[in-house]
Amino acid sequence: MYAEQVHDYLRTFFKETDCELLSDEGYMLSVQLTADMDKRIMNRPFYWQYIEATNSPANPARLNLITDRTKVQNQFIGEIIHFGSGRLHQIFKATKELGSFVQMYQQSNDRKMLTPYFCVNYKVSYYCDQTKEVLYSLGINLINGDIEDHFHEFVSQLDLKGNIPENSFCLQYIIKPARALERLDGMIQNIIQNDDHSWAEEAKKRWAKELEVLDFFYDGVEEKPESYEIEKKGLKERFNPRIKVEIINGGLFYLH
Amino acid sequence: MIIERSSNWREDFIQRFEQDGPWDSWTLYNKSYEIEKMNLIPEFSGLQAPKFLTNIQLLPHQVEAAQTVIEKMNGKAILADEVGLGKTIEAGLIMKEYMIRGIVKKVLILVPASLQNQWVTELNMRFFIPAIAYRKNTPIEHYDVVVMSMDTAKKSPHREKIYEQDYDMIIIDEAHKLKNHKTQIYEFVQSLKKKFCLLLTATPIQNDVFEIFYLVSLLKPGHLGNYESFQASFSTTKNSTDGEKYLKELVNQVMVRNRRQDTGIEWTSRKVETIPIQFTPGEREVYEMIGALKSVSAVFSSSFTMVTLLKEMCSSKEATFLTLNKMIQKCVTNEESEYIEEILAKLMKLEINSKAEKVIEIIEKANDKVIIFTEYRATQAYLQWYLYTKGISSVLFNGKFSKSKRDWVKQLFRQRDQVLIATESGGEGINLQFCHHVINYDLPWNPMKLEQRIGRVHRLGQEEDVHIYNLAIEDTIEQKILDLLGSKIDVFEKVVGDLDDILTRKA
Repeated sequence: MYAEQVHDYLRTFFKETDCELLSDEGYMLSVQLTADMDKRIMNRPFYWQYIEATNSPANPARLNLITDRTKVQNQFIGEIIHFGSGRLHQIFKATKELGSFVQMYQQSNDRKMLTPYFCVNYKVSYYCDQTKEVLYSLGINLINGDIEDHFHEFVSQLDLKGNIPENSFCLQYIIKPARALERLDGMIQNIIQNDDHSWAEEAKKRWAKELEVLDFFYDGVEEKPESYEIEKKGLKERFNPRIKVEIINGGLFYLH
Repeated sequence: MIIERSSNWREDFIQRFEQDGPWDSWTLYNKSYEIEKMNLIPEFSGLQAPKFLTNIQLLPHQVEAAQTVIEKMNGKAILADEVGLGKTIEAGLIMKEYMIRGIVKKVLILVPASLQNQWVTELNMRFFIPAIAYRKNTPIEHYDVVVMSMDTAKKSPHREKIYEQDYDMIIIDEAHKLKNHKTQIYEFVQSLKKKFCLLLTATPIQNDVFEIFYLVSLLKPGHLGNYESFQASFSTTKNSTDGEKYLKELVNQVMVRNRRQDTGIEWTSRKVETIPIQFTPGEREVYEMIGALKSVSAVFSSSFTMVTLLKEMCSSKEATFLTLNKMIQKCVTNEESEYIEEILAKLMKLEINSKAEKVIEIIEKANDKVIIFTEYRATQAYLQWYLYTKGISSVLFNGKFSKSKRDWVKQLFRQRDQVLIATESGGEGINLQFCHHVINYDLPWNPMKLEQRIGRVHRLGQEEDVHIYNLAIEDTIEQKILDLLGSKIDVFEKVVGDLDDILTRKA
């Protein structure tokens, strides 16, 4: 993410979350946070605890964020923010929290019948001493149960709004969203099961090999010292293959 | 395999569905997905960290080292680059990569006290890793990345506090301090869980081959066998080249070592000169008298004391005087004290220090900034006075200086004084690329200490050739030290790999 991208991102983010932009010079942003945003990105739970406990007037922070430090002479006028910085990371986290659930309708001027879909964006992570992640965006048609991958790529191109357009009407779903969620979870499980898991086998091999080396070190030692068990535990934590499924976001979509 | 499902998204969704909202912003929904996509780790291999590190110009050998450690060594390694190639950067890069990949969260970094702040600053400013320096009573359970001095860590109650934590990664800087398995710090680290572990040292072997055995056994017990099998296979291989080759191969499976010349960076060269010096007849007489001490009194029967005295005599009469003066108090018979007093009298009468004269000669010829390393504080003070009488300004440095004092001295040396006189302990943690001349006024027993000294000057950023002058007085113990240094370098090169010149190359 380059300085400009970071800048655009921040501008969008603060506008979208109703934080007032006090100034915007293209390389520096001055923004008045709302109380909610302050709680999310400023890391000061004690301050807010105090304010709420004493019923004092809150004073949410005002941030001066420098997105391109090459353009400012005095760096002390604000906080330098860039890809990789902690603050941006917090803002990413807030984005995730505030963009989790949607219900969207495809827009049109004509009279249309809208079909309900349910979409979940999954992140599947494979962990051992190495990591790999894959995104799956699964959408299920709530009328006939068809499931498609890359659903997000598809809907993000469409003209969608949070309100149903005039003249259009929605078909009643046949599959309940709760049931649809189970189906998608099952689908993910299926995808994972059919994936190539040689990585896990390789990790187990590395694990076994290192365990063999460790055992050799304590070969012939009758009462193995504590450090042996500690090392063994360390090996397990390092190599034991694990799979994690995380939901990024998802929602209901009514499409032509 | 067990599939972990984290998040309460499911319950939250059903709730919002039943209550028809509230629904989130479509823009943020899209942004959230984009961020995930951007931060995705698409492959097991390769490094993700560099794109986050906008504050560092990573060098190819550093990236390669990090990749080797992660992909080939499974995250446990000795980083043994030559001094000045950026071991800290490599360690930071590896740590960052594991953190981004979500494999490592809690990290403990053990360093010599003098380097604690430097680590904290580097990690925060360059790697954006929020590390803190451990002080007494720091609640370490609240911090993920803690930088602690080794001396503190090994002691109660700190060690117990560390054992209570569950660290994912342990990093140890200047790891050659763990070469002795009988020390408290070694035992402490041995009992620490090392899921991922990096040991940083430019000098994995300083004196003998067992040091590498203990270091590797800390990292990966069994990799070099157990003590008995190692001793049987390698301690007797002094003449077997096959054994050495095999050992080197094993070591290289857990060690990354970049040499200056492999980095692809153009390095200025090292010009190493051994400069033989002749004692004056007066100095020689005192030296011989000291040598004869052991037959005079039992007080001097310890060979350690004798060696110290002889080395000091090769350094300065001031250093010799201090030690002798302490010893005179231990003498029992009159005969003993008289002999020593005779030495002291002769010592005091000496007017010429042949080595110091040579130093003036070298400084005048260099006509540039010069660093002098000595092992003795008394010599350090004497040299400053002596240089002053010759109109040469100098500033003193030693390892006990605080961070701010170090910076101040460095500043003085850069802007005001021609010479910096440092004691041995000043060898670590100060970088002086603007200087090109190093005088080793007296020689340590350990070649790696010489390498550390030279590394203060000959490191990334040095633009000119570096001149090293090793001073040794002929027909004295210094001659023996030179020989011993030569043979230790030999062991190192056979097991670890070639070294840049420290001593003059043997023909």
